[in-house]
Amino acid sequence: MNNFVNILQTQHKDILNSLGQHLSISLISLLIAAVIAIPLAIWLRRYKKAAEIVLQITSVFQTIPSLALLGILIPIVGIGTVPAVIALVVYAVMPIFQNTYSGFTSIDASLEEAADAFGLSKWHKLIKIELPLAMPLIVSGLRIAMVLIIGTATLAALIGAGGLGTYILLGIETNNNALLLIGAILSALLALVFSALIRFLGKLSFKKIMIVLAGIIVLFGGWGIYSVVSKPLSTITIAGKMGSEPEILINMYKDLIQEENPKQKVEIKPNFGTTNFLYKALKSGQIDVYPEFTGTVMESLVKVQNYGHNPDKIYKQGKSMLKKQDNLDYLSPMEYQNGYALVVTKEFAKKYNLKTIQDLAAVQDQVKAGFDIDFYNQKDGYQGIKKAYNLDFGNVNTMQPSIRYKAIANGKVNLVDGYTTDPQVQKYHLVVLKDNKSFFPPYQGAPLVTDKAIKEHPGLKKALNKLSGKISVKDMQKMNYQVTFQHKKAKTVAHDYLDKHNLIKE
Amino acid sequence: MIEFKDVTKVYGDQTVLKDLNLTINAGELYVLVGPSGSGKTTSVKMINQLIKPTSGTIKIDGKDINDYDLRKLRLGTGYVLQNIALFPNLNIQDNIVIQLEELKVPKEERIERARDLLEQVGLEPDKYAERMPDELSGGEQQRVGITRALATNPNIILMDEAFSALDPISRKQLQDIVLELHAKAKYNMTIVFVTHDMREALRLGTRIAIINQGELQQVGTQEEILNQPANDFVKSFFKGEQETEAATAGKVIIQGYGHKSEDSDDVFRVSFEDELPALISAVREHKQVRIVFHDANYLLTIDDVLDFIENKEVANE
Repeated sequence: MNNFVNILQTQHKDILNSLGQHLSISLISLLIAAVIAIPLAIWLRRYKKAAEIVLQITSVFQTIPSLALLGILIPIVGIGTVPAVIALVVYAVMPIFQNTYSGFTSIDASLEEAADAFGLSKWHKLIKIELPLAMPLIVSGLRIAMVLIIGTATLAALIGAGGLGTYILLGIETNNNALLLIGAILSALLALVFSALIRFLGKLSFKKIMIVLAGIIVLFGGWGIYSVVSKPLSTITIAGKMGSEPEILINMYKDLIQEENPKQKVEIKPNFGTTNFLYKALKSGQIDVYPEFTGTVMESLVKVQNYGHNPDKIYKQGKSMLKKQDNLDYLSPMEYQNGYALVVTKEFAKKYNLKTIQDLAAVQDQVKAGFDIDFYNQKDGYQGIKKAYNLDFGNVNTMQPSIRYKAIANGKVNLVDGYTTDPQVQKYHLVVLKDNKSFFPPYQGAPLVTDKAIKEHPGLKKALNKLSGKISVKDMQKMNYQVTFQHKKAKTVAHDYLDKHNLIKE
Repeated sequence: MIEFKDVTKVYGDQTVLKDLNLTINAGELYVLVGPSGSGKTTSVKMINQLIKPTSGTIKIDGKDINDYDLRKLRLGTGYVLQNIALFPNLNIQDNIVIQLEELKVPKEERIERARDLLEQVGLEPDKYAERMPDELSGGEQQRVGITRALATNPNIILMDEAFSALDPISRKQLQDIVLELHAKAKYNMTIVFVTHDMREALRLGTRIAIINQGELQQVGTQEEILNQPANDFVKSFFKGEQETEAATAGKVIIQGYGHKSEDSDDVFRVSFEDELPALISAVREHKQVRIVFHDANYLLTIDDVLDFIENKEVANE
């Protein structure tokens, strides 16, 4: 609970920002869906067959899993807000269409006959009689759609559209229930508030509803045009993966770029998504820079196997392959390595005087290990370690990555796999055992930049290379701890580091 | 004047109306009567083109209805429906003047017109104008339904089983309203009234057309139909009326007894619905009584009543 309050206090601006993003994505989607579905239903109200076909099609849309839909959309429209809005519109069309259609078709036939017999024009009849009579059902369709949209919009975070889903994903990723709760509670609240608002809207007269709708359209339209027009072309967009570490790094990039050229506009997009999203966004030019690890480059981006254990060689190989493959520049890496590690409790280390992984050989019967399932199965994980160090732990449990640290903190296990810069190491007073045979592949972080950005912004390369060889494992672990557990802002933590190491002038 | 010439309507393989020929004179309260499924509603809906004939022509004032601008034709034609069909989302006054809104009449004028019309059908404007339809009883709603048909001062008003769903008391009151409105309009208002109720037909019609299974059986006044039925169907359709119904002052008039009088407003008035005992005691006392029917006075003496009773007894034997 303290944690929860703490996050609210330190990050309320970011949370409000996400709430705003969530709201705009949801409202824009609802508006577009309504603009598609309502006129379509009105038009098809006399053509039962066609309406049924449309209803079938929209129902099929509804059954597509949201992740699959997002996956289909990315190659077509890229990442960010656009595919998120498209996906949400696809989901929202069906309840609005269905309700509007049944709202119109359930109007008493004698009322229709009366309106015709009185010589009312089609438009007058629609506005004055049919729409008001269908309105309660249309409004309930909009409410269903809005609740659906607000819930589904949490997935927008997966493809870099931001919103409250960022906190949910971050919470799951870092096993931080407070973040998860913030995301979940706020999106639930948002759904409730909007459901009530739309219900209230439905009680207003038709004229007032139109005025409110027009107001929303003008507001959002104006905001949309403003944000397109006002965005200077020369902005550098930096994105980062989920979690505190990328967020700290991209804040450093921003500071360094602006130190070099104070007038340069820099936009940062923390928690933008997974490796694939970011890489696609970079290739398509939607972002200009993001920090990537050498190991990930080899494993996932250029897909090389058996790349060895020499950090320098790996970096160089990755750099030249990225350049060849996608014309991207992989700038100089930082000092720290964020690779796999075996982590034990301080008591356990002290008791048996454990410093390296090799030291475990003597006490392998005492080990109660908790491993991530992937780590347990991978060749460069536990299976490889067993061979390399000739180990065989007596007691190995596999578990979700997010609860490993909880398990070791509670004494359920005394050894887990982790990453070298994990802030939990500090939090739970753990010890990282040295990989003295350099078994684990090196994961060095370095900025990955588009060639276009390098050419357009002459100072960019110089600014980013200032981090070359900087930041030790300890430094990174500490900064991660400050952001993840002390809830300091990534921006402040990044700035303090740069300041302390004289990389920027105050 | 509305003329039907050889009008036929076929749905699939079913002929609902066969070679209908009708002439409805301007200013008439013309009743189309017949059992359900006879084609009477189909005929009336052809006048405002809710239904198109399969063949044949319909003319209004000598001009084919297809040559009229549909919107103008409908705006100039009142229409009252069986299930009333007040728009539930509009209040009473907005319902009444919806056609005036279509004609872009300014709001103040519309409100004034609505209130004026409410007054004419005995609904207090202050009390009713701004209420919603579902707050009114069925009878009250249909009063509003009638005023709605009157809003544009139409020359033709179509009423399709307008009172069939109402209770007997409301029905009678509304029939009175229709008779009164029709009389007040002094031949400027043609009403085509569809009903399956022969009593209602006899009560209202200046002329009555009887239709059965899509074919016209007879057209005539009350007297002609009761006294000279054209065929067995007409005879049997109105037979019940002769026998079961308690005789009333109105029925004595309808059957042709007594005589019309121009200048007799001071004569004692007997209600149209008064039954024979009341009528007899009134004639005894006043020698001569007056009954208002279709806005005219009819005078009855004791002899007229005795003649009626004599003939009725004969008919019953």
